[in-house]
Amino acid sequence: MTLIEFKGVSFVHETGVTALSDVSLAVGRGETVAIVGENGAGKTTLVRHINGLLKPTKGSVFVDGVDTRETTTATLSRKVGVAFQNPDHQLFSESVENEVKFAMRNFGFSEELVSQRLDWALKFFGLEQYRKSSPLVLSGGEKKRLTLACILAWDPEVVVLDEPTVGQDALQKEKLGQIFRLLQSTGKTIFLVSHDVEFLWPIQPRLVVMSGGRVVADGKISKIMADRELLEGARVTQPQLLRLYAGLRRRPTTPFLDVLEARDWIGGKKESPGAG
Amino acid sequence: MYWLSGGFVFRRVVSPFHKLDPRVKLLVSIEFFVVSLVSTTVPEIALVLFAVLVVSAVARSLRRIGRTIAFSSLFAGFIFAVNFLFGLGLLNAILYSVRFLAIISSTSVFFVTTSPDELEQIMKWTRVPRDIVFAFVTAVRFIPVVMLDAFQIMDAQKSRGLEFEKGNVVKRVRNMVPILIPLVVNSVIRSGELAEAMESRAYGSTPKPTSLYGMRLRWYDAATALASLLLLSAVTLYIYHVFPFPV
Repeated sequence: MTLIEFKGVSFVHETGVTALSDVSLAVGRGETVAIVGENGAGKTTLVRHINGLLKPTKGSVFVDGVDTRETTTATLSRKVGVAFQNPDHQLFSESVENEVKFAMRNFGFSEELVSQRLDWALKFFGLEQYRKSSPLVLSGGEKKRLTLACILAWDPEVVVLDEPTVGQDALQKEKLGQIFRLLQSTGKTIFLVSHDVEFLWPIQPRLVVMSGGRVVADGKISKIMADRELLEGARVTQPQLLRLYAGLRRRPTTPFLDVLEARDWIGGKKESPGAG
Repeated sequence: MYWLSGGFVFRRVVSPFHKLDPRVKLLVSIEFFVVSLVSTTVPEIALVLFAVLVVSAVARSLRRIGRTIAFSSLFAGFIFAVNFLFGLGLLNAILYSVRFLAIISSTSVFFVTTSPDELEQIMKWTRVPRDIVFAFVTAVRFIPVVMLDAFQIMDAQKSRGLEFEKGNVVKRVRNMVPILIPLVVNSVIRSGELAEAMESRAYGSTPKPTSLYGMRLRWYDAATALASLLLLSAVTLYIYHVFPFPV
């Protein structure tokens, strides 16, 4: 069942620059969609339409059947949680707990529910020890986790993450990967804007490739990532595991999803799950 | 918001006014400012405003200056209302509000047509200490960046259910806190990083550094300056009835 639908959406900035041209996209409940493309391809502009921050110049965006033009961002945000690229653009409260409570209070949650959701979010993101600390003194990775905690605390149906891996060390990225898989398992609809193909590859999302404000490819990540000509045109690189897979003379029927699978196959310890 | 914000920000445009020496642009702007202050009747001040718009058109910045005037009209309306309500009369209330618009737009003409580099040259020419020049010019240069930050912060808070237009005046003012705190914090962090980057690139190592670009007064700069000064003198003398022009 379609939850988010873009129908012939075009968007022209006030400066006259066309950011989106005739984009049509339908995303079902529980789907994970990754949007990739070079800088200025229109990825962020596209996801900003989902919670009505931007309204299309032409065409329409529907969220659960509601035209984003006919409602406010605050109303749509109850359903769509957006985590922006730079956490410093949203943190302002005197303590981490108040930062997490902010949106829930805006949405009119009862104090009891706010308290329950706060405890869950801080525990889930490993931020309990910072409960009374100022969010401004946290490290980059902790701030990023806090912005995610702020959003998941109000339990939106759709989660939009703009460049979640930027500025994260390897360990943080691994933690983010785990969080993603957990979100996927809870049936959330996830939009993921990222340049980081290595991060996206093991998640195996539906992939939307953008270039010059248009959707140039939409489908299974394994199929799109195999099309080198398309990727070069959109200035997207292939994941290293896929390049390794393509370079092997004897290989399994499906590409490796992580290095352990690749190691086991190459070392001959065990057959990859996709081996025929 | 974006529409309004362009009114004071420099944009590179090819126009005869942009090509002028920045000192001449400053002179013209000051002249408009002075005439706005000495004008005593509504037709005079309206004429000044019209002249500013003509210069804006020559500078191919009419729309941008128009934005400044549109934004300032809110304050002009307030000035009109206060003066009218406190018994200064309709004509005086109009005079003060139009004067305000003329002053704002004459200042805007200078900032819209003068790049931060040119601003720096003028300040150095007036022997303002180098550190103050640097701080001022950097602040001007960062206005568009800070504005962009403000828009992004507003988007982030709107996405967390904050409604700026909801509630009474007190609530609306309180709604600005989630914008102002990240904006100030980001600006402070950015200024600290900039200071470190400047020091890392030897800022301040020479007491009197050389300059790659300098100001040069060409014949058309001198002609414009002279013509504008003559016009200013004539208008001022007319306003103070030193000699009446045939009308």
